[in-house]
Amino acid sequence: MTESWGQFKSFDGKKFKALDAEFTNEVSKLIGGQDLTTCFQCAKCSAGCPVSDKVNIQIHEVMRMLLFGLKEVLETDMVWLCTTCYTCQQRCPQGIEITDILFGLKNLAFKKGITPAGYIGARQSLYDTGRLYAPTEWERDDLGLDPVPELNIADTKKLLDKNKLMKLEVEE
Amino acid sequence: MTQSYEVFLGCAIPSRFNNYESSMRAVAKELGIKLIDFDGASCCGTVVLKSIDETSWLSLSGRNIALAGQRGHNIVTPCNGCFGSLKDTDHVLHDDDSYRKKVNAALKPLGLEYTGKVKIRHFVEVLYDMKDEIEKKIVKRLDGLKVAFHPGCHLIRPSIVAGFDDPELPQKVDELIELTGATSVHWDRKLSCCGSPLLISSEEVATKILREKMISANGAGANCVVTNCPACHTQFDIQQLGLKDDEGNSIELPALFVTQVLGLAMGIDPEPLGYELNRVPLDPIKQILGI
Repeated sequence: MTESWGQFKSFDGKKFKALDAEFTNEVSKLIGGQDLTTCFQCAKCSAGCPVSDKVNIQIHEVMRMLLFGLKEVLETDMVWLCTTCYTCQQRCPQGIEITDILFGLKNLAFKKGITPAGYIGARQSLYDTGRLYAPTEWERDDLGLDPVPELNIADTKKLLDKNKLMKLEVEE
Repeated sequence: MTQSYEVFLGCAIPSRFNNYESSMRAVAKELGIKLIDFDGASCCGTVVLKSIDETSWLSLSGRNIALAGQRGHNIVTPCNGCFGSLKDTDHVLHDDDSYRKKVNAALKPLGLEYTGKVKIRHFVEVLYDMKDEIEKKIVKRLDGLKVAFHPGCHLIRPSIVAGFDDPELPQKVDELIELTGATSVHWDRKLSCCGSPLLISSEEVATKILREKMISANGAGANCVVTNCPACHTQFDIQQLGLKDDEGNSIELPALFVTQVLGLAMGIDPEPLGYELNRVPLDPIKQILGI
């Protein structure tokens, strides 16, 4: 299906660049980022996370890296191996919108070209056809279903062009 | 009381699970729920576009909400991905003035505006409202069906957005399933993600998560999995094929849509319920289903 993501080496012993308070501020302004700095590292997020045992940096560690202003957080495999299940966000005792922050980090990583190949293909398909998957007509015929209502591909393209979706990487 | 909604199918259902659409339509017809085709939609964007660019996602998804609003309709969707995307967009655009202004500026040249007045509902929410009517329509009991019900993440979390059921102890859809005489079993991985969103980035990790779920469902004595989402169903009815535990034993369980269970118990003809399109063989439960 897709090449595998999540083969990063351990971060143990990795030396980080100077702390960047501006990066912490930038992330705080993302959707869901408003309460980022209230994290007190209870790690309840990681306790309920379905990929805690499958990533090199767990979600509570991502939160710590964000508070330390470490941009290297965008290279952790937690960013793209987050399933978006929202368990961490639901349970955070500080009400931090953790999953939403991770979506923002994915956006930042995508602009830097750090993204699984599947997302590049999905973007192209969405732009060209207005959808992620095409209908399976023979099944629909067999079940007596009407054709899928037409999508408005032209307006979809207009909105995506306005947001420069196909040129996100060169924006940086 | 006739309820009517524009039905937002999304693209996963017409692509892989036409039996979900067909069984949903059959159940809706039986209950007198009017489903209006959603013309001129954009993709919901789902977590895929949200991961790439949140402003593009809010624009496309906001456009869908605005379209239904312009036609004076509310929206119903049978897909957790579309539901999560539409509800989350509604949540952000309702609360965040700057994003609402930005999205409305983009929608204006298309003759559309997000007003925040459109109700967005999952099909199972609508069914739960009609629990009493469904109960009266049960004509065929499915005793012996032991269901590992998988609610899926975006139906219930974050609860401030989804607003449907208890995020830690959901039971509404289980109540519907149990109207048929089936049992909704307790399984410890019930609330855990199915892994489907990771198929795009790492099939390997997605499959690890699915195996953990299936070992849990088997351990709880379930004889099938039931879902209300085509993304989750991709894991349970496609990726699950041939799945084995560490000792090499099969941990495959048939996977049904909630509408295929309720429809059958409501006496709907099996043909529109589309069982022949279920990929994991239904043999272990065929006798119980009587198909």
